Amino acid sequence: MIIDTQQERLVVVSDLHVGNPYSAASRNLGEFFEDALRRGYNVCINGDGFEILQARFASLAADSVGVLRALRRLVDGGRSVFYVVGNHDIALENFLSAWSGIQITPFLNVTSGDARIRIEHGHLYDPSFVKSPRFYEWMTRAAGPLLHLYPDVYRLWTSYEIGKQRVRSVLRGKREAENVYHDAARMLLRRGFDVVVFGHTHQSEEVVFEPGQRYFNSGNWLRGGTYVEIDRGQVSLRRWGAAV
Amino acid sequence: MFNRPLSSSNGHGTEQSRSYGHGELICQEGESSSEMFVIQRGSVRIFKARPAGPGRSSQPPEIELAVLHKGDFFGEMSLLEGLPRDASAQAQGSAEVLVITPGALLVRLRRDPTFAFELLRRLSSRVRSLNARLIAALAEQAGDPLASAQPPLLYATESK
Repeated sequence: MIIDTQQERLVVVSDLHVGNPYSAASRNLGEFFEDALRRGYNVCINGDGFEILQARFASLAADSVGVLRALRRLVDGGRSVFYVVGNHDIALENFLSAWSGIQITPFLNVTSGDARIRIEHGHLYDPSFVKSPRFYEWMTRAAGPLLHLYPDVYRLWTSYEIGKQRVRSVLRGKREAENVYHDAARMLLRRGFDVVVFGHTHQSEEVVFEPGQRYFNSGNWLRGGTYVEIDRGQVSLRRWGAAV
Repeated sequence: MFNRPLSSSNGHGTEQSRSYGHGELICQEGESSSEMFVIQRGSVRIFKARPAGPGRSSQPPEIELAVLHKGDFFGEMSLLEGLPRDASAQAQGSAEVLVITPGALLVRLRRDPTFAFELLRRLSSRVRSLNARLIAALAEQAGDPLASAQPPLLYATESK
């Protein structure tokens, strides 16, 4: 298993949720991977690439074919493909590692140019997941049918989490809202990283904590199509088709 | 009343950053201390004193084990076992390290669980490397020509 890697050019996408009926990934990702292949970028899927908790098997199987073919073209074209396991695809770990060409890893420490970059899905810092992973999985499965009625149901969950953090901050008398992912990124940055990249929250963002110490979230491909681009140590948040 | 999180000026348990100038010792072989270090900036040389013995006066007095860089860690053996330092560490150029005490390690592992993975991976890799060296030494003793193959360095960092 590779966790330390030297990568001059790498694109990071997360939360593709291939198999989810509203995921834009199965439609747009092939073109995105073709572009990465053409421009000489390796690819990292930063968790929750395939939806096995909320999707029906038939739609997961149908939607996966195109994405797996596109990944195969990348590997055949000499590109490296890394897959960081998220909370929606833990059970796929063995399946994906058996599928030759993709490097499965729990997280990735990337050296690019002079920068050290940590890429991690981020669910390990989600208080609800940490408190009870089984209950979290059950809730996620239960929300699956709701997707067919209201595709943005995940936004309700994100808003609930943000609201909970705000209430907690007010109760503790803090001026700024607490953000568990920012706190986690700060912990990692203290270990000699320059940049931390998470996914999981579906909210793409870039935060500069102090000069030379940045946090990115690569967002999602359910409705959007954001990604983090690493080019010889320079890291930027982009939207497929345009800069963010 | 007692159920408050551990805190310090930096808000990260009892972790603190320390700066060292070129050539300054961060820890010394044989000394008793139970902190480990993560390199936040610069490089650190790890070395051991060469054991005294006949015919060794012409050799350098130290055996360099590794030069570590930003993000690497060292000193975990003393933290985990509470035994004297096995090797010395010296700043190469100016360096800044994060100092972690046993209590702070437990706080960090709770908040940064992947650190445990990296720590165990390092220790596992060291056991594997020691096994390879042991096999090589035994083969050399038995006069096996394959014994000349160089086993990996103990502190080598894997990067692919």
